[in-house]
Amino acid sequence: MRYVKIYNEKMQEFLERLKNYGKLYAPVKISDKFYDRKEIDDVKKISFDCLRTIMPAKKFFIPPYEELFEIDIENADYKEKIEETEPFVLFGLHACEIVALRILDGVYLDEFPDIYYANRRKAGIIIGLSCLPDEYCFCNLTRTDFVDIGFELFLHELPDGYLIRVGSPKGHKIVDENPDLFSEVKKEDIDAFKMFEEKRQKLFKYYGSFDNIRYILELTMKDKIWDEEAEKCLGCGNCTMTCPTCRCYDVQDIPDIDGKHAKRIRFWDSCQFRSHGLVAGGHNFRPTKKDRFLNRYICKNAYFYPLGTSYCVGCGNCTYFCPANINFLENLIEIRRGINA
Amino acid sequence: MKKLKIGVHGLTSCYGCQLKMASLKLAENIEIVYWNMLSSKGEIGKVDVAFVEGSVSTGEDEEELKKIRENADILVAMGTCATHGGVQGVIFGEDYKKCFKEIYGDNNIEFDGRIGEPIKKYVKVDYNLPGCPPEEDEILYYLATFALGSYPEEKDYPVCAECRRNGYPCILIEKNKPCLGPLTVAGCKARCLKYGIECTGCRGPLPHNIAWFDSLARTFKERGMSKEFIKSKMEIFGKQYENMEELINKVFE
Repeated sequence: MRYVKIYNEKMQEFLERLKNYGKLYAPVKISDKFYDRKEIDDVKKISFDCLRTIMPAKKFFIPPYEELFEIDIENADYKEKIEETEPFVLFGLHACEIVALRILDGVYLDEFPDIYYANRRKAGIIIGLSCLPDEYCFCNLTRTDFVDIGFELFLHELPDGYLIRVGSPKGHKIVDENPDLFSEVKKEDIDAFKMFEEKRQKLFKYYGSFDNIRYILELTMKDKIWDEEAEKCLGCGNCTMTCPTCRCYDVQDIPDIDGKHAKRIRFWDSCQFRSHGLVAGGHNFRPTKKDRFLNRYICKNAYFYPLGTSYCVGCGNCTYFCPANINFLENLIEIRRGINA
Repeated sequence: MKKLKIGVHGLTSCYGCQLKMASLKLAENIEIVYWNMLSSKGEIGKVDVAFVEGSVSTGEDEEELKKIRENADILVAMGTCATHGGVQGVIFGEDYKKCFKEIYGDNNIEFDGRIGEPIKKYVKVDYNLPGCPPEEDEILYYLATFALGSYPEEKDYPVCAECRRNGYPCILIEKNKPCLGPLTVAGCKARCLKYGIECTGCRGPLPHNIAWFDSLARTFKERGMSKEFIKSKMEIFGKQYENMEELINKVFE
């Protein structure tokens, strides 16, 4: 891998230059506590200590609403509404968010690629940023705390700048085209990088192997804890909407009032909603709130074989954004009680 | 294409739903058979779809509603008064009698006043078009699907879904505001949340017994809100939701 360094004094210029590669989106504060990734005009407004955004990075690749088809009812015909996506730059993605995108890739770019997703993914330039975990983070347990692939550049904080890992041909291009911004990595930078990693690892709340959690979960599905926790649940869907890997959608045909045209739309759905499990004939695969509640735990902890991880990347969003204070991690720790490793 | 014959009716309500509908540009494939608010011509007759606004609050309302039902293939409850009784449905029992007397005194009045109730208590309702008033796009969607000989998919998920899809901050978490978004049927695109105002539940509680008054009351209680306060917020549009009070009481036992 190629490594370069950027000094703090050059960061502003670096962010400005990123705009040459596409529209720049980065985290900004949108209210007292919350952040979201927005289009950036003034790079000074970018937040570097944002840990989580209320809309995960999936919004750039699977928008909350989108139009798929234009339908001609009279002629029983339709046209896929596929638009060219201009390149765009996503700045400040943490390791868990980058792994999350790779999980989405596994779903959307499989043997039947979703062309809408694929177009946007091709246009997206990913600039990663290191972070220090808070009480909600558990990416160390899900083994998603460090990424090897899935970014153009990854910036690791140093006392006087950033150590940058160059992760793709596009990343090389950005470095090569802006030689005035980057310097060589020195011995003290490597030491600082190691110190940062050491400090970061010490900040997690829990340690040990979490790989067996999906089996423990299956074995404890009848435990009382799930009745109690499901009872607290509001069924609001915040957990899945803010989850970087939840990707379920609903599709609907909306006819125009003249009866001649219609559009097919797709929008974010949630397994926490009643109609998500409803099929033709009126059968519901998840008829109760508890069924829906448990479904998310099982789905998130299922094995994602292309990466050898689970679908959960340990970001803590579902807990942070739960109005009912339901703690995903603590519930898993609770059922895992007895394993001290 | 065959024209869709519709009737639009107002029981006891503010006529805001009809006004909203009247402001829309309808297409030539829709024939208005009866719409008293727009024209005194016409009478209640056979229609494909009848849209009924308002709650049943008088004996006359009940009679009219039954006549509408007999003449309509499809009956749509339009707006929160029709679907849930509306704000006027909040007053019950002795309170109702007291209130009625305060307003009308001892004078003999011609109508038989009743507690405002959702129309499903009196007739079979085929579809609910929620809102206070319903949203333009939903009115058009319902009409368009009926005109095609199809039917609309009713939403059964909460306002929170639209709030998150739009990227608004969750003010229940952030500011401890008594937001009824989790209980309330979506469709408004979380309009109030866009302006940082908590959801008052004007579109009515979620259908299919999935409005979790108990869980939300518990969340509010944990945030320091009193039972009386929680109840006063939840009953504005939710009073006639089956076992609403029971669900709230359970949390304070």
